[in-house]
Amino acid sequence: MTQVQPTQKVYGAWQQIPVTPSRQMTVDAQQMAAHWRRCSLSSDFWAQYMSLFIPTRVTEEYLGRGEVEQVLAYLLNELFENCAKFSNGSHQLVRYVAWSQDDSMLFQVTNHILPEGQAPFAKLIDEMLNNDPHELYFQRLEENVELDLDGSGLGYLTLIKDFGVQFSFRFRPQENGSTAVDVQAKVSLQQE
Amino acid sequence: MSDNNLIEGEGYSVEHNPGTHVVSFNGTMRLKTSADYAHINTLLDRAYQETGDDEKLTLDFRHLQFLNSSGINTVSRFVITSRKQNKASLQVLGNQDIYWQQKSLTNLQRLWSNVTIDIQ
Repeated sequence: MTQVQPTQKVYGAWQQIPVTPSRQMTVDAQQMAAHWRRCSLSSDFWAQYMSLFIPTRVTEEYLGRGEVEQVLAYLLNELFENCAKFSNGSHQLVRYVAWSQDDSMLFQVTNHILPEGQAPFAKLIDEMLNNDPHELYFQRLEENVELDLDGSGLGYLTLIKDFGVQFSFRFRPQENGSTAVDVQAKVSLQQE
Repeated sequence: MSDNNLIEGEGYSVEHNPGTHVVSFNGTMRLKTSADYAHINTLLDRAYQETGDDEKLTLDFRHLQFLNSSGINTVSRFVITSRKQNKASLQVLGNQDIYWQQKSLTNLQRLWSNVTIDIQ
């Protein structure tokens, strides 16, 4: 299928999926930021929608429908909040796509940033994907207090370490001068 | 609206009961930034100061459906600053039917050994 373009930069185990499902949504990042509870509303809707793929009864090795819904609500809210907070430049479209796979669900959320935003975000991603998430999580919390910082990356780290979510990231420079950021999140439907 | 011990926002509330030394969180709290959580931080800090050194301050999350990462950062920050003061101990109440609480509340104990976690 589609090859990764040379100008693209990928971090983590990116999945190339040829078929785009009908489960998708586009929203405006500025609107999400201005009407903040739309992040919460959208995440809760899609969490409930996707959790209906889960049978009402599952065997012990699988997450129940309610558990899946709660994980997805947490995950998608963090992703939508990030799009609302960090989209930058004239291209404000946010795109959400979801795939139901055998033992997992895959989500992809795309937003756009200015090209100069890529390097600092890529540094954060590198640190997240190449360190022990438990150690990094507690280190970040302590640093945030010492240095009076906001919790950058804490949402991703919580999802990785507490919920086993696997993230991958792709940066795609656009002709309109912006850079598209695709975040993929894979959620296992099996108990850890 | 709110007095010093009650914060009410869209979809959530945080209430401090000075008599029982309990701070209760209710609803879904997904505020935008740490700055938006500042008034909750202030309530928590004051509740801690008003709790005697030999007493315990309880954080009751049993009716909190969701908390975003900015909120978790706020609560974690409160635990770390309490640890630095090392006065009253903390008790955290969670709800076993709320999945993120099962998974994430124990992180608070890793921040300070004087935090007890009770998931009910």
